Amino acid sequence: MSYLTDRYKEMGGEVKFIKPRRCIRVNTKKISVEKLKERLEKKHVELDKVPFLKNAFYVKSKFNLVSSPEYLMGLFYIQDAASQIPAEVLNPKSLTLDMCAAPGSKTTQLCEKVPVIAVDSNKDRFKAIENNLERLGIDNCIAYLLDSREINKTFDYILLDAPCSGNYILEDDWLKKNNLKRIQERSYLQMELISKAISLLNKNGVLVYSTCSLEPEEDEFVIQFALDNFPVKLEKIDCTGDDGLTKIFGKKLDPTLKYCKRLWPYKTNTIGFFIARLRKC
Amino acid sequence: MLDFVSKFTNKEIKFYKLNNKYFLASPELDKCRLEQKEQFFGLYLGEDINDQFVPAFGLLDWLSKYSNEKVFVKDIGEMDFLYGKSLRSRHILRVEGEKTIGFLKLIQNEYDENLGYGKIIGDFTKTEQVIKPKLDRGIFLKREKKDKRLSSESKR
Repeated sequence: MSYLTDRYKEMGGEVKFIKPRRCIRVNTKKISVEKLKERLEKKHVELDKVPFLKNAFYVKSKFNLVSSPEYLMGLFYIQDAASQIPAEVLNPKSLTLDMCAAPGSKTTQLCEKVPVIAVDSNKDRFKAIENNLERLGIDNCIAYLLDSREINKTFDYILLDAPCSGNYILEDDWLKKNNLKRIQERSYLQMELISKAISLLNKNGVLVYSTCSLEPEEDEFVIQFALDNFPVKLEKIDCTGDDGLTKIFGKKLDPTLKYCKRLWPYKTNTIGFFIARLRKC
Repeated sequence: MLDFVSKFTNKEIKFYKLNNKYFLASPELDKCRLEQKEQFFGLYLGEDINDQFVPAFGLLDWLSKYSNEKVFVKDIGEMDFLYGKSLRSRHILRVEGEKTIGFLKLIQNEYDENLGYGKIIGDFTKTEQVIKPKLDRGIFLKREKKDKRLSSESKR
C-alpha cells in the first residue's frame, strides 16, 4: 500500500482499478446527436446515452472507432465523460478563455456554443489543438502558443483545466511514480494559474477550475487559497460525483467547498476528476 | 491558395494570412484577438509549404458547398479512399462536373461530406482505377500518432 492510497481512505474514497467506460462527444457543429447515433448504430456500434451529459454516449464497438470515417470526418470526439463536465458546468454565453487548452477536447466542446480563445504554452501539445480544430471543422477559435500568465484581456467566462499530477487510472504505476513533493509542486503552479485566471475575470464572471487529480493539494486547497485571497465565491454544481471535501488532513476548509465535485473512478466509471465553479464578486 | 480554389469554383473567398497559413474568419472573431500574435485564427484553410499550397479540410469543406467538381463514392470506396487507396469505377456513385483525366475532384461520401480530394487518372466508363488520392482524412490518424509521440517525449 502506498502512502497516497492511505490518504484516499481519509478522503472517504479508495483505490479501485477500473476501466472507465469509453465515451464519445457528438460534434454538434457538424451533426445532430440523433443522426450520429443512427449512423453509428448502422455500423453495429452500441451507444448508451450518458445520463449526466448533453451530447455524450458510452460506446462499445468491435472495431476501433478512431479509424471510422465518422471519427476522421470530425463528427465526434473520444473524450472521457468526466472530462466533458467542466465545459458543461461553465455553460458560457459569450467569448471564453480556455487557459490550458491542449489537446483541445474542452476547447472544441466550448466552441459548439461560443467563440473561444485557446491558449497553451507547450509547442508539441499545441499541434494536437491545431489538429483537433481542423478535424472538427472549428471556425470560431483563436489559438495562441503562449503562457496563459502573459494574457492581459478580461473575460466573462474562463476555463482553467489546470496541469496536474493525474490519477491512478490514467497511468500504469501512477501510485509508485508520484509523491507528495511532486503534488505540492503542481499545487504551487495551480495557485499561480488560478490567481491569474481570477485577475482576468470580469466582475460577475465565471471561472471553472478542474483537474484530473484526486489530491486535495491540487483541488480543494487551491480553491481554499482562491477563496482566502480573492473576491470569489463558490457556486453549486449540478452533476455526478461526491461533494468536495470540507475537512481533510486536520484542516477545516470553507463549508462552501462542498459545492465542488470530486469524481472517484470506481463510483462514476470515469477517470478521477475535480471540478469547481467560482464567480467573481 | 487562390489558384487552387479556382480549380473548383469562381466563388470569392476572403482569407487572413498568418505567416504561411491561410484562415477564414468572421469580422466578429477578429474583434476577439489578444495583443499577442495568434497561431490559429478561425477556419484553417491550408498553408504554403516550399512554395506549394497544401489545402486543409476547412477549405475542402468550404469548396464542397460551392463547387460542382465532385465525385460521390459508396461506403466501400469511402474506406478505401480514407486509407490512401485509389478509387475504382465500382466505388463511384456518381460524378459531377469535369470527367477529363488530370482534373482535380472533391471526393464526397453518400452524405455529401468531404473525404479529401484526388486527381482523375482514368475513364469512368472504361478504366478500373479512376481517382488517385491527393489528400484524404486518414491523415488525421497519422498526425495523432505523431502528436502522441511528441507529447510523451516533451513530458519527459
